[in-house]
Amino acid sequence: MDIDDILQEVDPTVYRIPQEKRDLQELTRAWIAERSAPELLPWPPNDLFERINAAIKRQIERVEELTGDMDPKSNFALIVIQTELERYKYLVRSYLRARLAKIDRHTLHYLSSDALRARMSDIELAYATRHQALLHNHYLSSFLSSFPPNLQNLNDAVGGISMIETPDLDTAVIIRLLKDSFVEGRGVDSDGALQMKEGDIVILRWADAKPLVEAGKAELV
Amino acid sequence: MALPLPPGLTPAEVSFLAEMELVTVIPRQRLDSIELLSGKTPPLRPPHRADLPLWLALLLKKQRRANILPPPWLHPDSLREIIHQETTVDPQAFSEPPPARHPRADPARPGRTLPIHQDDDGFILSPPFRPGSCTADAPVGFLPYHWLEVAEMLLAHAADDIGAPAGEVRGLLRDLVEVRAAKLRNSTSVLEGFGGGLMSLRGVGAMELAESRGFVLSVVDGVRKIGASTEAARREAEEEEEGADASDEDMGL
Repeated sequence: MDIDDILQEVDPTVYRIPQEKRDLQELTRAWIAERSAPELLPWPPNDLFERINAAIKRQIERVEELTGDMDPKSNFALIVIQTELERYKYLVRSYLRARLAKIDRHTLHYLSSDALRARMSDIELAYATRHQALLHNHYLSSFLSSFPPNLQNLNDAVGGISMIETPDLDTAVIIRLLKDSFVEGRGVDSDGALQMKEGDIVILRWADAKPLVEAGKAELV
Repeated sequence: MALPLPPGLTPAEVSFLAEMELVTVIPRQRLDSIELLSGKTPPLRPPHRADLPLWLALLLKKQRRANILPPPWLHPDSLREIIHQETTVDPQAFSEPPPARHPRADPARPGRTLPIHQDDDGFILSPPFRPGSCTADAPVGFLPYHWLEVAEMLLAHAADDIGAPAGEVRGLLRDLVEVRAAKLRNSTSVLEGFGGGLMSLRGVGAMELAESRGFVLSVVDGVRKIGASTEAARREAEEEEEGADASDEDMGL
């Protein structure tokens, strides 16, 4: 925190949503997006996850301290704190599991280029790499080794068809506009382009929605 | 399996989200501020009202520590107004979502105001965190995004706080659900010719989307897959046309 942040915090003319609330909004948004998007989305920036994990850890320590004193007054507060803690843990768990499910499904795809690798956190990347290595070794020892050498690859692109399965980026998604924006969507018979208002809920292809979501003009619902 | 759920939020997950909506409570007991992960709760001092997340309000209600003040849009008159809007005024579209409140003057553009759900860094809150959706100061006659889940939960756990006969509110809600479900079903006729590539469902609720999303999205995907060759041919033709136009211009030059 530098002097500007401190000044901004005491400056009553600047309206700023408190950090805890922003973090919860961002975590929820990331979770909904990950549950709805057909492909793996980038790992949230600005240490959002590290911050939330640290807060959860601190809160667990507080619960441990509070359970020590048997004051009936703090008893109810403890129930509330623990209920909220469980809600946070559920969000985090569901978010990570949604990501893992996508990584598991298209492991080779997400390992195939640096841009795609950058979407994973360090732990996810380590998991994907080791999981793929184990799987490859297993395939090799159980059947691949008896194939002719030119058929042993798992990532061939012979005949124009790649062996690596990729997620279908044209899958339809539902988004909500956060700002008035110009929305373009590709369709079968014709393409659409409309000026839309904040709060509009739109069905369109993920490939068309992606630029809006990345620019912060829309969110997945 | 890391996550054995289909893409898109399930109804259970949507009601989990709806539990984070803020509602207004009237405390019956004092309760000091509690430091939660999402920030400090307001200290409860009867009979002063306070805004709390729905899950906490329901917990307090169960322990008889507080009463919940129902949001104004849940009043029978407001529901009747919305039903009138949905059936008579505009039988095609969903009723409008609640308007954004603009309490702050915009320093950059004099005379203009800024919405309350957006802060000066440009950070935007969306449902269930958007202020003034289900609290006592919510606007009358507008359904917020999580209307059905919040209404159902209040009816199930705080029916005595609703202020109107619960049966009447239930009946009106059921009418509303049916009117709007019919609209969502009718939208499939638009989907059949999902040619434009865009379909707007302004005003739709979270639970309504969760219920129909599997059907609606698979129709859209199905239409795309069936029409994939048509679309490819159309794009090729358009490209050729553009190319032809360009070469025409070249000739002219």
